Amino acid sequence: MSVTDPQPPAPGSADAAQEALHDRIAADSLTTRRDYLRIVATVSGGLAVGGVAVASGVLHRHGDGEGPPEPRRIADRIAPGESLAFRYPGAEDRAIAVRMDDGTLAGYSAVCTHLACAVLWRRDRGGEGELYCPCHEGVFDARTGAVTAGPPPRALPKVLLQEREDGSVWAIGTARSGEDAREALCRQQGGDTALCRNASAPAEGSDRP
Amino acid sequence: MTAPRFPRDPRAPRPPAYTPGSAEPRLNRPVRERYPQLRPTSGYGDPRTRHTGPGPGAGTEQEPERSSKLSARLALALTVVAGQLWGLTVVVDEWMAGDTGTAWWGAGFLVLSFLVVLGLWALDPDDR
Repeated sequence: MSVTDPQPPAPGSADAAQEALHDRIAADSLTTRRDYLRIVATVSGGLAVGGVAVASGVLHRHGDGEGPPEPRRIADRIAPGESLAFRYPGAEDRAIAVRMDDGTLAGYSAVCTHLACAVLWRRDRGGEGELYCPCHEGVFDARTGAVTAGPPPRALPKVLLQEREDGSVWAIGTARSGEDAREALCRQQGGDTALCRNASAPAEGSDRP
Repeated sequence: MTAPRFPRDPRAPRPPAYTPGSAEPRLNRPVRERYPQLRPTSGYGDPRTRHTGPGPGAGTEQEPERSSKLSARLALALTVVAGQLWGLTVVVDEWMAGDTGTAWWGAGFLVLSFLVVLGLWALDPDDR
């Protein structure tokens, strides 16, 4: 049948003929570039929604909760070279406390900033031990929490530790990646403490009286 | 005149007499009447002819400008989406580091980028 021949009348109505024509045209190309453009626009919208959701706070940050965190005793003592896994301030906030060989006490979030694997204390690695994420070989400096190797994009959030005279170790607050310990305490305690009023006071992530 | 080799059965139906053309009178009209749209100038020289049919250029893109414009729109949209992927990593990084203001600026960037892609998509709704 040639296209110049009169077309047979549609069996049903004009809609059926229209559908048959649409089928014939649609069969030529399953996915057009315009379809790709629509898919790309959909992906773009999803990314925009995701960005707004992240800025709105859909992701949990270590230490985020209602009210300032309460100081909590986490151990009677931590010997040099040892580490302690604990949760502070919330039940889901995994943390790790490390006593280095020179006596420095440091506490960090135990959730890797790359893909949230568990961070481990490896005394045998590096010069003085390091915090190590085995999932993708991420390495953090045990003294500062900064990234020294691997794919993590940010330093580890800190857990501010305090060692009291009886040797017990207390967690007193948290600090975000790269945040100064005093700024973190002032942010969490409301800025009306003596530490915040005295700007010249020394600030340390770990405190040994 | 010789006798047929095989004698015809006198009872067999006789074929119809041959007449040139069609049995339908409307198909026996001259071509001009059957296709009044055709003119002596119909063909490449006729500006009304948009699709050339079989011949030089048959089967290839009829409107290369339209095609390249669509490809360019697609390439631009993909570039913007790549920028959005980078922007989302920045937003997550800033939010997790506590810089909420920068995270909101990044979210605004992502929304603006989406509007750009939406514009590229809606530039020519009849395109294919």
